[in-house]
This record gives sequence, structure tokens and C-alpha cells, in this order.
Amino acid sequence: MHNAPVYAAPALVVARGLTRKFGDLTAVDAVDFDIRPNECVGFLGPNGAGKTTLMRLIYSAIHKTAGELSVFGLTPMQQRKRINARIGVVFQENNLDEELSAAESLEVHALYCGLDHRTARGRIAELLDWLALTPKARSSFRELSGGMVRRLMIARALLNSPELLILDEPTTGLDPQVRHTIWASLRELKRQGMTILLTTHYMEEAQQLSDRVMIMDRGRIVVSGPPNQLIEQHLERYVLQASGLAEAPAVAGDIRHERAGDADYFYSNAEQPLQALYETLPTPYALLRHANLEDVFLKFTGRGLHE
Amino acid sequence: MSTNSSLDAAALVRPLRLRTNLLWSLYGVWYRHVRVYCKTLLANATPPVLEPLFFFVAIAYGLGGFVPTSGFDGLPYRSYVAAGMVVSSAMFTGVFETMYGTFVRLVYQKTYAAMLGTHLRIHEMFVGELLFAASKGAVFATVVLLVTMLLGAQPTAWCVLVPLVGFATAYLFACLGLIITSYVKMINNFSFFATGVITPLFYFSGTFFPIRGRSALLDVISVLVPLTAPIELSRALFKAQFTWETLMHLGILFAYGIVLHIFALRRMTARVLR
Ligand SMILES: Nc1ncnc2c1ncn2[C@@H]1O[C@H](COP(=O)(O)OP(=O)(O)OP(=O)(O)O)[C@@H](O)[C@H]1O
Ligand SMILES: [Mg+2]
Repeated sequence: MHNAPVYAAPALVVARGLTRKFGDLTAVDAVDFDIRPNECVGFLGPNGAGKTTLMRLIYSAIHKTAGELSVFGLTPMQQRKRINARIGVVFQENNLDEELSAAESLEVHALYCGLDHRTARGRIAELLDWLALTPKARSSFRELSGGMVRRLMIARALLNSPELLILDEPTTGLDPQVRHTIWASLRELKRQGMTILLTTHYMEEAQQLSDRVMIMDRGRIVVSGPPNQLIEQHLERYVLQASGLAEAPAVAGDIRHERAGDADYFYSNAEQPLQALYETLPTPYALLRHANLEDVFLKFTGRGLHE
Repeated sequence: MSTNSSLDAAALVRPLRLRTNLLWSLYGVWYRHVRVYCKTLLANATPPVLEPLFFFVAIAYGLGGFVPTSGFDGLPYRSYVAAGMVVSSAMFTGVFETMYGTFVRLVYQKTYAAMLGTHLRIHEMFVGELLFAASKGAVFATVVLLVTMLLGAQPTAWCVLVPLVGFATAYLFACLGLIITSYVKMINNFSFFATGVITPLFYFSGTFFPIRGRSALLDVISVLVPLTAPIELSRALFKAQFTWETLMHLGILFAYGIVLHIFALRRMTARVLR
């Protein structure tokens, strides 16, 4: 994998052959990676790829089946308390207390995170302010929009001032405005030195936030690296995608063609031949664009359903 | 909506001194349950207070008319029933809290999923839970004591210790509740335990009539049933009489408590870490 230079800061999270099975199913299958301080790493993968399971291994919510894992140089499960005191988690599923108001939810969590009542009050006010939730402090859970609930989950994960923030699909189901706001907040945290692990199905999110992405499929990390480098390494520069073609046109040798269902993909490092092809296609559903992370993702995880 | 806040993120990432010790962790978990419970206090607490009230009136006044005026076990019948009921109400409070309450937190509210993201040890999560159930038991035992007092039971000064007996009883049965919950897949499964285990305990542990003195076998069984020990302790308070037997019951209570506590934590640890 990545050969870190010897002078680099020690890795915050190290996994070697890390494996977790549920019965016959291998949810995380012998993965290797290092996460360095202040890195933001995005885990991409189809449903069931093992992203959540991997995150849960890191914050000691389940035992590993095999392999090695260390977090802050400590051993998960055995040293759960010392590790998790330095971690904040935003869960995939909402698990806020629905009976409580926004501020109360944060308060009860702050106390069992180890803040005293006074520190908790100050910190909650700061976090609500930072995430633009102050007007909703007294609102009950039901009065919060999806975007507010997510921001509240992020506020909660930050209560203990974590060094490592784990976000499991932080913006799934949110509108673009909320997503962009959340991304801005996360980038700000990163600038302040926080290390961030996130799982997502949104390629744009991964690309906007991550220094590196790891694409997972059926428990394995199938490819990893900086998003732009992955695109450069594994794909041509341009893609022409079209759908609704009765029959794919014959193409010149410098264009690579793929067909999946009713869709055709033409790849080339030069824009001009694709542009020429584009103009001849007898379909309104065609788009010429740069290759992106989604193309890499589909290349490595396939275009079929994974269920 | 925007993050145009007056505050920059630097303040948010400054290191904090966290209290991760056992006592604060238990307090934190307990506090969470208390806050959520208080939010829904009226809806939650009315039936557990009213039910013993109706029961006491029906039994102590209704059935009590047919009981010899000397009462049972050296206690007037109203005091006899009151002493049993402070304990049985603590039992119900404790066991139901960690059956239905814990199940809802585990499966629907995902409370433990959220706690798993923090430094809390699994044991701290569930001992905090048991302490909450026990606190509720202490409160309900006290409420029942006061209500039955108004309705003619005659407690002694020793009855100031009733909250303590309520606490211990609820803790013990909350352990039992956790064990049951650790096996339960669907919330409906609880009715089997509620009707099959908890209700018979209530009827056959000497809550409102003496079990012992009928057959030797029954005597042994009744001593070993976990509700008997706290009821005997409560009666000792109501009689202000303490004997070697009182000490034995205290021992039985603690023995049950320790064994069930250990087993409950093992079971719940296995249940949440998966
Ligand atoms: N506690 C569990 N018991 C049994 N199987 C599990 C458990 N948790 C996860 N799995 C299985 O392990 C696999 C990986 O699940 P995981 O939740 O880690 O995937 P994911 O990448 O997070 O998926 P998604 O994108 O849908 O959130 C899935 O097949 C899932 O059904
Ligand atoms: Mg997931």
C-alpha cells in the first residue's frame, strides 16, 4: 500500500489484515491501511461493503475476528476508554434522544462523555452557535429538520473535543445547501488539525473532503489513493456517456467503449474525438465530461447491483 | 442557514479535561435516564403509583375484613400488606425498567449505540442503568409507604430505611430484568416472563399472606424465592424486630444480587457488542 516516509508522524490508526465476520459473512476482509494525523480519509463502497463495520471496529463497538488494529497506538476493546475519550462519532442512524430538546440531548451526552455540568453548558452553547442551531436549542426533536438533526449529531460528536472524528454517512438524505454547509464545517475542523474518517455514497463528498479515498467492496479495500490520482491512474481523462442508443456506433482505436444495460460509455484521453462522436450520436441523452471518482468507483465495484 | 457564527473552530478543538472515572461515568448514565424519565413523568409514573393504591385498598380493606384481628406474623394486617407492597412495588419498578425500558433503549432508541461511541465501558453503561432502576425502586417504595401510611398502615421509625430496601430490591430485580432482556428478540416476548415469572413471585412470596408453616418443602422454596428476603427485611422494619433470620435474609439478598449482577453484565455485554 502506501509507503509512508520514515519521518512522517506515527499513524493514528493502523490496520493489518483486519477482519470481521458475522457467521459465514465476512463484513471486513483482511484490510490494511494507515491513517495519519490530520488526514481526511473517505471510505466509499456499495451498500453492505463493510464501511460501518470498519468504523465500529475503530471505536471498539465490536470485536475483530482476526488481524491487527491499533488506534492512537492503543488496542481497541482492551483500551476502549482511553481511545474513545479522544474520538467523536457521528452515527449512520439517528440515535439522539427524541424525548429531549436539542440542548438537553447534548447535555446528557456531554455528561457521560465526561464533561462537568458547567463545562458542558459552555461547550453546548459554542457548538450550537457554530452549527447555526442556537435558535433551535429548546426545540424538541420532532421540530428539527433532517439537516438540523444531522448537525446536532455532529455537535454531539464534538462535545468531548475529539482528535479523531468518525462520520458514518454524514450527509445522506440532505439537501445540497445543508450538505455544502456541513462540508464547510468539516473542512474547518480539518484546518484546525482534526483527523477525519468518513464513509459516504456521495462521490462529490468524498472528493470535496478527502485527502485519500478507499473504495471498499465486499469487505475488501479494492483501491485507495488521493481522488485525483485515482482518476488519473485508472481512467482516461474524458468520458462520453450516452443512453438510449439502439446500437453502439463503431469507434476509433483511441476510444475505449463499454456498454452496461442501456448505457454506453466512451473513454479517451483526448477530448476532440469524443466531441466529434458526441455530435454524431442520435440521442438527446448524451454527456461529455471529465472522468470522475464515480467512474473509478464503478470500474472497481462493477455496475451491477450488490444485493 | 450558514456557518456565519461569531466563533471560529479553533475554540472547538481545544483540549478538554474529561472525567472518565467510574463514578462520573455512572452518574452520567444515571443522569441521562433521569432526564429522559422526568420528561415523561406524568405519563410514566401515574399507573405505578395508582396500582398499588387500588391494590392496597382492595386487599387491606376488602380481604382484610376476613383476616383475624391479630393479623399475621405479629403485624396488623394493613401493616403486613404495606410491608409486602413497598417491596413488591420496588420489584416491579426494577424489573420492568430493565425489561421494557432497556429493550426500548436497545432496539428502538439506540441509546447504547450512541453510548458505544463514547469512552464509557459497557459495564458502566449497564451499572448506571441498574442504579437508575434502583433509584426508581427506592422512590416508588417510599411513595407506597407514604400512601399506605395514610390508609392505615402503622410503620415504625425503622421504616425510614424503606427506601434502602426498595433500592436493593429494585437493583436485584433490575439485574434479573437485564438477563431476561438479553435473551429477548421481540418486545412481545416479555409478556411471557411478566406473567410466567414476575407475577407468581408477587403472589407467592408472602406479599399479602404468609406462605410458610404449611409444608417443609414450601418453606424451603419460599425462603429461596428472591422476593422473600426483601419482604422479610421490610417486615422486620415494620415490626422493629431484628433476629438472626433478618441477617440471613440480608445475606440471601446480597448473594442473589451479586450473582445476578455478574450474570446480567456478562449477558448484556455480549448483546451490545455485536
Ligand atoms: N451486527 C451484525 N450482524 C450480522 N451481520 C451484520 C452485522 N452488521 C453488519 N452486518 C453485515 O455485514 C455487511 C457489512 O455491513 P456494513 O453495515 O458494515 O456495510 P456498509 O458498507 O456500512 O453498508 P451501507 O452503505 O448500507 O451502510 C452487511 O452484509 C451486513 O448485513
Ligand atoms: Mg453503513
